[in-house]
Amino acid sequence: MLSCSSVFQRVAFMLMAPKLKPQRLHQIAETGAEQLVKKARTMTAESSMKDAFSTYADYLNNFNEKRERVVKASRDITMNSKKVIFQVHRLSKDNKEEVLEKAGKDLEAVRDQHFARLMRELQGTDFWKLRRAYSPGVQEYVEAATFYKFCLSGTLCTLDDINATLVPLSDPSLEPLQINILDYILGLADLTGELMRMAIGRISDGEIEFAQRICQFVRQIHRELMLVVPKMDDSYDMKSKMEVMLQSVIKIENACFSVHVRGSEYIPLLGDDAPTSYLLGAADVE
Amino acid sequence: MMSSAFRNAHLTASRLINPKPFSSSSILHFLPLCSGDASPRRSNPLRHRNSVSPSSSFPFCSISSFCIPMAGGDGQGSHSLEKQFDSFRVQLEESAALREQIRAVVMEIESATRLIQANLLLVHQSRPIPEVIEKSKEKINDLKKFYGRLAEILRECPGQYYRYHGDWRSETQAVVSQLAFMHWLETGTLLVHTEAEEKLGLNSLEFGLETEDYLTGICFMSNDLPRYVVNRVTAGDYDCPRKVMNFLTDLHAAFRMLNLRNDFLRKKFDSMKYDLRRVEEVYYDVKIRGLISGGDIPGVQVTQGQS
Repeated sequence: MLSCSSVFQRVAFMLMAPKLKPQRLHQIAETGAEQLVKKARTMTAESSMKDAFSTYADYLNNFNEKRERVVKASRDITMNSKKVIFQVHRLSKDNKEEVLEKAGKDLEAVRDQHFARLMRELQGTDFWKLRRAYSPGVQEYVEAATFYKFCLSGTLCTLDDINATLVPLSDPSLEPLQINILDYILGLADLTGELMRMAIGRISDGEIEFAQRICQFVRQIHRELMLVVPKMDDSYDMKSKMEVMLQSVIKIENACFSVHVRGSEYIPLLGDDAPTSYLLGAADVE
Repeated sequence: MMSSAFRNAHLTASRLINPKPFSSSSILHFLPLCSGDASPRRSNPLRHRNSVSPSSSFPFCSISSFCIPMAGGDGQGSHSLEKQFDSFRVQLEESAALREQIRAVVMEIESATRLIQANLLLVHQSRPIPEVIEKSKEKINDLKKFYGRLAEILRECPGQYYRYHGDWRSETQAVVSQLAFMHWLETGTLLVHTEAEEKLGLNSLEFGLETEDYLTGICFMSNDLPRYVVNRVTAGDYDCPRKVMNFLTDLHAAFRMLNLRNDFLRKKFDSMKYDLRRVEEVYYDVKIRGLISGGDIPGVQVTQGQS
């Protein structure tokens, strides 16, 4: 209150007493030199601020550009890994070798062209900093590689296996890019969706055993991941993937169940319609 | 796909039942589909109707090669699979333990920052600035110690700074904002990135202060300034708005040199203009009432001249 009223007093005083002005001018003259010094100081402060910010600007520009390039590489990896997955899905009983051979070559191409590019961008650094930028591509690649490997050999392609194939791509003087556990697990979680499609496709093609093998495999993956998920850093993503995974497992199990219960009824027809039913194997009885 | 398969199955069933009912039932018992021992001996009278396609002379081979020796593949494959996941669990547990350690230190950083902040808030109550700063400075040494400990923890996992960076990010931003405010009170200038690192005893080679975190912290500091100005004016310091306004104008101009992404920092930067506007308003209020005249004349002297 006191300061408030004094403000008003002063306002009134100033309005009524322009006489004070010379005195003030005098003061300005007195402190003129000091003022100049002060002004010079704020000038340098300002320019040093500008200098500092131009280094930040450079840093941010470079980093953002790098991030963009990494995102692009990641997108290309995603796109081409998807193509590999589609290629693997094209397999049926009689074209297995050629389909998988092409898939293997495509996968190699993804590695040589796009993964190598990603590695060049990262230059042995910022693996974790830019993880969010390249994680989707890496996950898709893991999915494609494990999917291919499973259809080829019926086993899981381990993280070490995948990382071993990446080592030759990078400059030996730099720390090689290694796919981290988290991205591997996230990619593996997506694999079950593809395997589910594969299992259903194989069943309608009559390859029941393959479907059952998938069923066992997916069940095993689901069980193992269930133990790992709560220990993951950002398990939110993973939890929703686990839900989807369980749905896939259940779908495969239901399909296997249906075949188990009714299979005897439809297999002969498949022999009828499909030119390559495995029941033909019994042809030697003729 | 499934539905077509079932439709087929249904058709077959109805077809089967008519000609040879016995065969259909015998198949039912004879084809334990999940047994896995798909033997070619499994005979079915119906197969005689099929023409053998040339491409499938070894149909069983192709199947079993898909399902890689069931028994062998299962044993060996699942063993290495289990081994891998066991090692994942171990690794993830290790990283969780590390994170635990980090969090403990971060909590200490957080509480030290809070003490500094509480102390600095005294400037709003017109406590003499040197006294306030002196007290806060003592706490900075604590912060330095904590950051040293953090760097030590991360030395155990080289190259993984950014894996855990999120754990101390927001706390560090708060630290920067307090340091920068203190620095501004003391010198009237902006605490630059390298100075901030120095104050915290960090070196960018090993455990640095992330540029984005520094900039975000500066934005936080700017958020505190309008309140400071208002309280200073109330306390009779009419020069304060001009000083702060000039500083904020420069700072805002400097920030505009940055090409920001559409992220948190951008949002904070956008809010800076409201801080600037508020300070300008206060300055206008003060100036229009003649409490200060030209921008170059320090308010202290104006008061002196009038008294």
